[in-house]
Amino acid sequence: MSAGPYNYSYIFKYIIIGDMGVGKSCLLHQFTEKKFMADCPHTIGVEFGTRIIEVSGQKIKLQIWDTAGQERFRAVTRSYYRGAAGALMVYDITRRSTYNHLSSWLTDTRNLTNPSTVIFLIGNKCDLEGQRDVTYEEASKFAEENGLMFVEASAKTGDNVEEAFLETAKKIYQSIQDGRLDLNAAESGVQHKPSQPGRNNLSSDQQASKDNCAC
Amino acid sequence: MADVLSETVPPEDLKKFEKIYHEQLYKNDVTPKAQFEYAWCLVRSKYPADIQKGIILLEELYKTNEEGRRDYLYYLAIGTARLKEYSKAMTYVRSFLSIEPGNQQVISLEQQIKKRMEKEGLVGMAYAGGVVLAVGAILGVGLAIAGKSKS
Repeated sequence: MSAGPYNYSYIFKYIIIGDMGVGKSCLLHQFTEKKFMADCPHTIGVEFGTRIIEVSGQKIKLQIWDTAGQERFRAVTRSYYRGAAGALMVYDITRRSTYNHLSSWLTDTRNLTNPSTVIFLIGNKCDLEGQRDVTYEEASKFAEENGLMFVEASAKTGDNVEEAFLETAKKIYQSIQDGRLDLNAAESGVQHKPSQPGRNNLSSDQQASKDNCAC
Repeated sequence: MADVLSETVPPEDLKKFEKIYHEQLYKNDVTPKAQFEYAWCLVRSKYPADIQKGIILLEELYKTNEEGRRDYLYYLAIGTARLKEYSKAMTYVRSFLSIEPGNQQVISLEQQIKKRMEKEGLVGMAYAGGVVLAVGAILGVGLAIAGKSKS
């Protein structure tokens, strides 16, 4: 819609993955709308959200693909992993099975993304302390062993939600600064948008397809 | 620009799910899963002929497989919107919302479709009397979706 210069300098692609019912869509909604969606229905396929954030004075647009957790969608949602700069891997601290499945989610992520992809583990529903089924220490150890960043968060209260999304972006941005993430590499999950004046609204459809076939 | 209406399927994925579908078709034993996965890729193709084919497969699933109806409706809305058949797309969205009124995912799809219509100067079209078709009429089935969302 917007003509003229971009109002952000980078686009980072994120995916959110994890078992069904762990609160992936609620985390996304809390992050983009600052609201808690009670009674959230199962996601169909994938959902999409964006928000512009700031890291070290740079405006960054996060394009977030929130995948359905139900098994029947899993084969096709794998194609959204490709080219993700950040992956938020979510489990529910009150349901051990969702934690036990993390290694399978992690394997998928490692196989389908690139080595510079930042993986952030989120133990959601930390407001439900009384029903806790996975200790903080245990998950923290798992994260450390696998080189993941980790927090416990609550999509309901908003605790640590902002932090998870922002810390992921900071880590990605750092990788760019350090030269570990090659902006020109296909599937880096990052696009640089030099904010230059000028018109670029020839046909947004055309642009969209160009954007998308930059394989 | 990236959103659910403009992102496209990676060609290798389309091929992969096409192959599975065709293998099953050859054995005359197509599972709803394989058909849905193939259709889901097709409606995200950049070629209108693919999208059209995806819509036909989804319509067929909608009539034969009750279980996945909310999924099929959602991707029928996406497919038709991508073909710029906005009033059909709005019909799918609205019948979905008549069953699950608070569904944020579908509400946000509705907003995106409206945005496209505005951009293309079509605002008001879908609301004009007589343009809105019933899903039943489009798909050739009765009012069968009500009450099927809970499972």
